[in-house]
Amino acid sequence: MMRVISTALVLSAFLARAQDDPLQKGIAAFNHGQYAAAQASLEKAPDSPQRRAFLALTHAATGHCDTAREELAAEFAKDAASDLGRLTGLALTQCMLAGGDYDDAVPVLARLKALHPDDADVLYQCARLHMKAWNDTLYEMFRKTPGSYRVNQISAEIFEIQNRYPDAISEYRKAIEKAPAALNLHFRRGRALLLESHSPENLELARREFEAELALNPADAAAEYETGQILLASQQAQEAVKHFERAVAITPNFPEALQALAKLHLEATQYAEAIALLENVVRLQPANESAHYSLMLAYRNAGRAADAAREQAELDKLQKSPQGEFTDFLKKLGEKAPKQ
Amino acid sequence: MIRSIAVAALFCLGAAAVNFQNVAHEAGLTDSIPNGGVQSKRYIIETTGSGAAFLDYDNDGLLDIFLVSGPGGTNRLYHNLGNGKFADVTKEMGLEHTGWGQGVCTGDFDNDGYTDLFVTYWGANVLYRNRAGRGFEDVTAKAGLKQDRVRYNTGCAFLDYDNDGHLDLFVANYLKFDFASAPKPGENSYCWYRDLPVACGPRGLPFDRNILYHNNGNGTFKDVSDASGISKPDHNYSLSVLTGDFNHDGLTDIYVASDRTASILYINHGNGTFTDEALPRGAAFDDNGKALSGMGVAAADYDGDGWTDIFRSNFSDERETLYHNRGDAEFDDVTLAAGMALNTRFVGWGCGFLDIDNRGWKDLLLVNGHVFPEVDRLGIDVHFKDRAILYRNTGAGKFVDISESSGPGILEKHSARGAAFGDYDNDGAVEVLVNNQNETPTLLKQSTKPAGNWVLLKLEGVKSNRSAIGARVRLTAGDRTQSDEVRSGGSYLSQNDLRLHFGVGTARRINRVEIDWPSGAHQVETDLEINRVITIREKPGS
Repeated sequence: MMRVISTALVLSAFLARAQDDPLQKGIAAFNHGQYAAAQASLEKAPDSPQRRAFLALTHAATGHCDTAREELAAEFAKDAASDLGRLTGLALTQCMLAGGDYDDAVPVLARLKALHPDDADVLYQCARLHMKAWNDTLYEMFRKTPGSYRVNQISAEIFEIQNRYPDAISEYRKAIEKAPAALNLHFRRGRALLLESHSPENLELARREFEAELALNPADAAAEYETGQILLASQQAQEAVKHFERAVAITPNFPEALQALAKLHLEATQYAEAIALLENVVRLQPANESAHYSLMLAYRNAGRAADAAREQAELDKLQKSPQGEFTDFLKKLGEKAPKQ
Repeated sequence: MIRSIAVAALFCLGAAAVNFQNVAHEAGLTDSIPNGGVQSKRYIIETTGSGAAFLDYDNDGLLDIFLVSGPGGTNRLYHNLGNGKFADVTKEMGLEHTGWGQGVCTGDFDNDGYTDLFVTYWGANVLYRNRAGRGFEDVTAKAGLKQDRVRYNTGCAFLDYDNDGHLDLFVANYLKFDFASAPKPGENSYCWYRDLPVACGPRGLPFDRNILYHNNGNGTFKDVSDASGISKPDHNYSLSVLTGDFNHDGLTDIYVASDRTASILYINHGNGTFTDEALPRGAAFDDNGKALSGMGVAAADYDGDGWTDIFRSNFSDERETLYHNRGDAEFDDVTLAAGMALNTRFVGWGCGFLDIDNRGWKDLLLVNGHVFPEVDRLGIDVHFKDRAILYRNTGAGKFVDISESSGPGILEKHSARGAAFGDYDNDGAVEVLVNNQNETPTLLKQSTKPAGNWVLLKLEGVKSNRSAIGARVRLTAGDRTQSDEVRSGGSYLSQNDLRLHFGVGTARRINRVEIDWPSGAHQVETDLEINRVITIREKPGS
């Protein structure tokens, strides 16, 4: 937090006037991270809102949140949009997180985020709030329900994020043994198998998992889609089509399944069909680079050069955005397609 | 299940068993080629070397071997003794040289009838002029090829982009690297691989630009990178180079496999300029529009439609990429449909099309090995040393992975990089030379002669460049017509035999050979013998 506060504060103008004025001297010392000196000077300064705010910030910075919280809250409530308001808000949430008062921190951070949407310190505190909540809940889960399948499931999900796919696969298996009828476990295990390897053996094992998921939940469009992808890789395009079509029948706006069907139409030189599907995908997901790329090639193959050029321009724009990498990361986490 | 399908497919094709063995030791290739750290690597420069070449430097009709080395050793030239053995002639031929050697390409740049040699480096490239097969002379400075700064030169190729009869030179550049400023393993987010601190890059390291040198016809070259548009693409980590007339306009285009970035397809406009059209032509990305980590690159008309297709090897967790040329250099990624979607645990490097049983269909071989030795600590199915992959072409636009049943040579594990393809004993079967990191090279040879008939065409330009680089051939034997092109460079930073090998199955004669020479001459030869090397000299004005 020290770093958050000190790096965020650039109040060098105060330094010049800090020689005699205990308030300015205190603020300058605070900015240099000399909290004992800051406190000594600020306590000598005449009472003022600024004095109270910086004294509270100093208390917060030295871990005396009990003393600081009330004043920080007051200052934040007064003018959350100002620099000082932002600072006191950040210090206040820091104190709340340190005290485990996550529920209190939520509205403060929400206000900070609304007022300072691109502020790295604010976003960092938001991430910390969720991380703390995640850690504490996880600890509680492991302590209170150590034998539940959910513990195995969450362990598997953590292993997936850590690229420890064999461990993830093993944990999903344990979860399935404990809760054979629970939804989504076979799907996640299938995904983990695919993340581990695309060897023929893994493809076959993954396919069985997706089929098991479908046996539990015939309306799982994502499982249909994954089954289709495996069949496609295994040179069974005709069978794959049926699964993609079922996925689309379940979830008509399933972009990946629509795109998979479009690619098969493209391969079969059925350009009109491919274009119709891909135009739908880019309508659903205007930032979907992959769909724009496929659409560009579909237009090209259909002889629609101007449309292809337009798609290429769109793709050029999108590829400059950093969103792609994060989208890939999310996909790696095994998230199902949205709106399912 | 996949395996049983593969076996069934082989049965239907009546294909003979393939048995590749590594004969490097018996052939006398017993020296290890050093390349950076063995247990770990601190810098990216340790991961990318090096290439291999088959060339006949003394015109005795037998392919010799050249291997590029990293520091701690020298590049090596081995003379083919004609009895399956090679002798190290590096020193007497004047080719001793140390440094961060990367790629190699050959071509007769001075049209004196002897194949010259160009070797790329992180540092200074070297052009060796072949002195009538009796030695090599470093003519880099004399030729005007000295570079004014340290560059990370990688793939290279001689080509005659303006069809003036003199071979020009393309040199790919990977990125800007120097030991002093390069971040160390773990230093930033681009220096990690699955929780392991590893050599940084390529991402996070600055891009560099590719180079085109024009041959002035008097033994000197001029850098025309800017004027030609070659230096324009500036967001690519360029590695391997593949030249070819992909749109059949009589002009040589250039494809560059790029690591972690879009690959480049320079289309030659015929007026001395090129533009990168890889994206609209469908050869920049995979079928999801995603840039892969292109390493090696190979070309063939694998489906017999008369158009040159492109194969690119990529990183692990990525598919290989097979681009089908649907005509006029418009490509579709057909990797999935062609049956190449399963080998995603390999980092692929050298690659080439070869007809393993001389049926008249080009099969595909690629060699593998991860970039980081540290990866073995992870205990996953990705390894620093790995086996090769051999795909059999079914003749119906599909490939079947037959690696596991193709002999011990394919299954040997190495951290392979460059691979060169050529028939060094002129027996009609193509051998594969592989440069392995910090090991002796591999020389893959089939234990039995392929059943089909064959022909090796050695083309000799007269008005065209003497090496005939850029000459396109259509060969008809029996009911099959095949096509190929003479190329410098290719694979991964390597050089294949400049002669063209065609398997012709059960055909007893070659009905017809049509050659489109770079000079524009169109030459037709008919009724040629099989199972031999045939030299065809350009008939200007034909």
